Amino acid sequence: MSSESAVNLAIRCYPGWWRERYGEEVRTIAGDLTADGRSPALVTLDLLQGAVRARSRAQGMPKVYDLWSARTRMSIAAATLPWMLVAPFVLMAMGTQSLHSTKGAVSFSGTSFTMTHLQIAGAPPTPAPPLTSAGAVVPFASLAVGVLFLVTLAVLACGWTGLTGAIRRSTTPHRRRVWLLAWTPGLALLADLALIVALILVRPVGYRWTGGGPMVPIGGHPLAAHVLGTALGVVAIGGWLASIVCVAVAAKRADVALSDLRFGKSVSIVTAILFALMLAAYMAWGVGLWVQARQASHGTFTTIAYSRQDLWVPMVVLITGAVILSGFSSRAARRSWMVLSNGIPPV
Amino acid sequence: MASKRLGRTQDPTIMVLTSLSGGPKHGYAVIKDIETMSGVTFGPGTLYGVLARLEEEGLVESLPSEDHRRPYRLTGAGAAVLRERLEANVKVADIGFRRLGALGA
Repeated sequence: MSSESAVNLAIRCYPGWWRERYGEEVRTIAGDLTADGRSPALVTLDLLQGAVRARSRAQGMPKVYDLWSARTRMSIAAATLPWMLVAPFVLMAMGTQSLHSTKGAVSFSGTSFTMTHLQIAGAPPTPAPPLTSAGAVVPFASLAVGVLFLVTLAVLACGWTGLTGAIRRSTTPHRRRVWLLAWTPGLALLADLALIVALILVRPVGYRWTGGGPMVPIGGHPLAAHVLGTALGVVAIGGWLASIVCVAVAAKRADVALSDLRFGKSVSIVTAILFALMLAAYMAWGVGLWVQARQASHGTFTTIAYSRQDLWVPMVVLITGAVILSGFSSRAARRSWMVLSNGIPPV
Repeated sequence: MASKRLGRTQDPTIMVLTSLSGGPKHGYAVIKDIETMSGVTFGPGTLYGVLARLEEEGLVESLPSEDHRRPYRLTGAGAAVLRERLEANVKVADIGFRRLGALGA
């Protein structure tokens, strides 16, 4: 890539209002500086840093209602959509829980919070040794992650209904099209539910194992069930990704009222806070498991394990990035909304 | 080495305002002036971040230009802010030098 095209690419990272105001000037100066012997890579890097600052702080952005309204909407989207993108992975990356004694995996009576007896296959139940102090934290942290996931999902559902209602009330150009875009998560969910119902209707009622050979389905329509099962996976993942993209596009295009922006701003702040709490709970879960492994080597304890706990480190990195983006964006949404509410009149 | 570790003490805002106090300049001239004045190398992203903020606050204004090298000049408010900030810096510098003198450093 030539230095000129790298500079052009960096300038394209700035917001539209900034490019319109300073773009040509900066392109000229960047050319002068590189002709003067300045490293094109450093000039490009400086421009990219400037682009991040221009986008995050919006300093010098003209006091035009449409610009600040669009900034508020995009900040709300950037504060909420990272959760949609990352949170499902958090639950998947924990996996299923199992308990272990020094003799191996065990079944148990009670709950993972208050165990009473452990039983190794084929052996009589024995009183359960205690969890280590760190291990005792793990089930609570796991529960907290699940609860925070559900609460955030409920908050975002409220935000989504607010968005669709706001678009219906607005004077957005091509309002119906934007409204349909915003409805993508609802349509994806309906498609998932329809496929699940169809799958239940056509799946075999049972399986017979003929000993040595494959399992033989009894009744139902096995081929249709297989096709529907595959389709369900595709629709679930495709619908989830399409929902994120379509809601972002709808948020960009929907010219909604100030009161609706206020609601969206509040949703984005609550989402960012819940997301940060979810990260804290997930970190406590992983640290608890790690410390438990060390404590368990100094006595007789019951230990908790999760099938995908090895994914903890990359997941913490991923979630931390998403939480930072969500936090900064919710702050930008709040500030932009305050600029709007402090008196830029709608055109 | 230690002074480098303690970080940059020059405020980019003050440096841009100081540069423009010598008369209207376009971006490239401001960068070169600051380099000569303080040895600090500004990139275009840093400079225009500062200029955008100063323009928004009414401390500098752009002048018409026929090419893409638009000159900027200090406004009255910008001159007042610069004077106030420099006086504060001078006061701190005076106290610092006096105390260093008392230490015999």
